[in-house]
Amino acid sequence: MSDTEKLVFMVTRGPGEAELATIPFVMAAAALASDVAVTMAFQGDGVELMRAGVAETVEAPGFPPLAKLLHDVRDLGGALLVCTPCLKSRGIAAPDDLVEGAELVAAGRFVVEITSATNALVY
Amino acid sequence: MTTTATELEAITDAAVIDARGTACPGPLLEAKKGMTTVPVGSTIEIWSTDAGTKNDISAWSGKVGHDFLGVLEADGYERVFVVRRK
Repeated sequence: MSDTEKLVFMVTRGPGEAELATIPFVMAAAALASDVAVTMAFQGDGVELMRAGVAETVEAPGFPPLAKLLHDVRDLGGALLVCTPCLKSRGIAAPDDLVEGAELVAAGRFVVEITSATNALVY
Repeated sequence: MTTTATELEAITDAAVIDARGTACPGPLLEAKKGMTTVPVGSTIEIWSTDAGTKNDISAWSGKVGHDFLGVLEADGYERVFVVRRK
């Protein structure tokens, strides 16, 4: 893993927007395969993707299933940071209802991740 | 590095990574995984039906430090050749 390159993917789309929910995972997996560190940051409806069992329901035409991509991102070392207030407002119990590897954070941690990254992309 | 089609055809000892039927980024992830199965200096040959793979693997090879040799068209898929360099 490179010491100098990191991408942050801000994921704000939920399972109802399968393509835009999937693309950041595609990009994250490709970045990790290219020795670029990755942090995925889930906010808004994006936190729904971190609810256990939801990824298994999302598959956009032309893309791999989201559950496969989530597995790849985790397997390659990507970080999964989830907005705690966004979970609370949706009634998602944390951490019990979340996928393995999801980390509960708030705005300060997101800011640190973004300011330390090579670039941040918002989906 | 430029390798002619004739030279690519002459490569008979490449490790084949069959990623046919997988969508982006599947072939790239399979290539990365496949690289770990061969010694440095060895060639892998990724088979893909995804139209973006040849550009993807070419860019990835340059990024991570492998040698992209080129592509051969096969029957309904592409054979993408890369030499492991690290």
